[in-house]
Amino acid sequence: MKVLVVNNAAPFQRGGAEELADHLVRRLNATPGVQSELVRIPFTWEPAERLIEEMLISKGMRLYNVDRVIGLKFPAYLVPHHDKVLWLLHQFRQAYDLSEAGQSHLDFDDTGRAVKAAIREADNACFAQCRKIYCNSPVTQNRLAKFNGVPSEVLYPPLNDGELFTGGDYGDYIFAGGRVAAGKRQHLLIEALALLPNGLRLVIAGPPENQAYADRLTKLVEDLDLKDRVSLRFGFHPRADIARWANDALACAYLPFDEDSVGYVTMEAFAAGKAVLTVTDSGGLLEIVSEATGAIAEPTPQALAQALDRMTSDKVRAKSLGSAARDLWRDKNVTWEETVRRLLD
Amino acid sequence: MRIVLLSSIVPFINGGARFIVEWLEEKLVEAGHEVERFYLPFTDDPNEILHQIAAWRLMDLTQWCDRVICFRPPAYVVDHPNKVLWFIHHIRTFYDLWDTPYRGMPDDAHHLAIRDNLRALDTQAISEARAVFTNSQVVADRLKTFNGLDATPLYPPIYQPERFTHTGYGDEIVAISRLEPHKRQALMIEAMQHVKTGVKLRLAGTASSAEYGRQLVQMTKDLGVQDRVILEDRWITEDEKAQILKEALAVAYLPKDEDSYGYPSLEGAHARKPIITTTDSGGVLELVEHGRNGLISEPDPRALAQQFDRLHADKQGVATMGTASLNRLAEMKIDWSTVVDRLTA
Repeated sequence: MKVLVVNNAAPFQRGGAEELADHLVRRLNATPGVQSELVRIPFTWEPAERLIEEMLISKGMRLYNVDRVIGLKFPAYLVPHHDKVLWLLHQFRQAYDLSEAGQSHLDFDDTGRAVKAAIREADNACFAQCRKIYCNSPVTQNRLAKFNGVPSEVLYPPLNDGELFTGGDYGDYIFAGGRVAAGKRQHLLIEALALLPNGLRLVIAGPPENQAYADRLTKLVEDLDLKDRVSLRFGFHPRADIARWANDALACAYLPFDEDSVGYVTMEAFAAGKAVLTVTDSGGLLEIVSEATGAIAEPTPQALAQALDRMTSDKVRAKSLGSAARDLWRDKNVTWEETVRRLLD
Repeated sequence: MRIVLLSSIVPFINGGARFIVEWLEEKLVEAGHEVERFYLPFTDDPNEILHQIAAWRLMDLTQWCDRVICFRPPAYVVDHPNKVLWFIHHIRTFYDLWDTPYRGMPDDAHHLAIRDNLRALDTQAISEARAVFTNSQVVADRLKTFNGLDATPLYPPIYQPERFTHTGYGDEIVAISRLEPHKRQALMIEAMQHVKTGVKLRLAGTASSAEYGRQLVQMTKDLGVQDRVILEDRWITEDEKAQILKEALAVAYLPKDEDSYGYPSLEGAHARKPIITTTDSGGVLELVEHGRNGLISEPDPRALAQQFDRLHADKQGVATMGTASLNRLAEMKIDWSTVVDRLTA
């Protein structure tokens, strides 16, 4: 079976979606009887009227010598094919939820509103012809149901290197991985730690979104006199290092605002058998993070300090929450074998 | 600078048309450029080509990069103020093959209209380019004839030419390429019944069809030349190729009317071998000068046999031609630094 994965592409930019697409193609090619290739269609979304042309580009493509298409992102998934499955990472949000939230560039004038209507119409026509639609998270799934009235199944993107997250010792630190950004609220973790007695440490490791936030965290650690207890490791780290930090942590923490999905950081922690601390407004994480697999707190230093204490003051409890997290994640069977099976179904 | 490489593909079909793009990508990166490569699907079904090209025409890469280098049709219709073409071929059925048995469609009003539209839009889009290079003089001439446009040949080098070395001149004339009718392995086998010296012929490569491979084997038996012809119907690795070539007497490359000189000729030249070709081989004649760096024969078994014998009988002359063969590459500036310089000028 020849399987073409189609995705959009902002030239010279790479992120999680690009990694996912590459990995999906590798996994498909490792499947007996399957050949796979990735087609990336350059995508330019501004000005608003440009989007009409971008849709026409994808719709004007013709595929020959392809048995199955797996479409990932708008508008690349509009490419016509008789046997198309979507694995929606997200829709073009400016035409949907961001518009509803008043944050879309398509609501400034009549042109924008006409473009928005055209996007919805093209999406609906495409969705109606798909063999099957999967979403990467319940959030995406709910939006699709709400705005397009289209049913879908959730298919979580598995970890690309899940075998690294084997678990290990339960050390004396909380590991907070992922992008370092105001929206991920690492500062709250530092402030929370300052309220707890000596003993527990914090490791923050990941690429800073900007220097200003990195500087803010550095200063905060100095001001709160936490240099011995907080380790700030800014930058892109090898995956093996990330895995080692997660595997040997007492527990993990991840405090994003309204995340679409469970998030890789959470998946890594669960795979490594670590309890996860998150916040009440973290969105997608709340599907798997609970008081049974970690702790949930209001996004304030005081509440987070209490939750950290609850989760980690007793190491036995931290371990048992971590085991529960690992079991829950295993039961969900979020593996590449299962993902490939469903996408080829 | 930021450079996008844009070409068309048929999904799951690999071949020379992709290699040249990927080799160039590697060389541009080595030269310090940021490079992103896009392959988009294209099918040349007459009834599908115009609206596909319209879709490609809508693509605007202006904001993403400093330059676009375009390869196979219809990549060159993309919008960018600095587009440079390395034009490999037209959609030939609508050009030089129109008045031949290879047209593959009726010569009626409908198809004539498609043809004339295609030619007009090609002319328009190609004339927008900052520079137009072709892979051979043959293709440059065709652009002049059909589109009235000037173009400069920019000869494609082979990948890592330093792999090919020279250790001496043995008895074998070597032809390594796909075994297929228009590469005329059959003509070479026929020639071998007429040779008078101890010259041998080695044909190696994957047959385009199992049937054709069998036919060639049968032919060596029927003509009683098995003692002189070594036929290997299989994929030859790059290492094997270098190994075979370094001891060869000469290489033979005599396709029927090809556009370019062909990689087998270049590989032979890098290994300091004379190149044997025929008067109707097309682009190979841009490279080979009779008696200087190789021999040009009539496409006739007896004539070819004479040239084979001539080489075998005069190893001194072979050595002189072999050296000239390598020097000819420098003379024609067939090297990657020339290619990189011109495409980024």
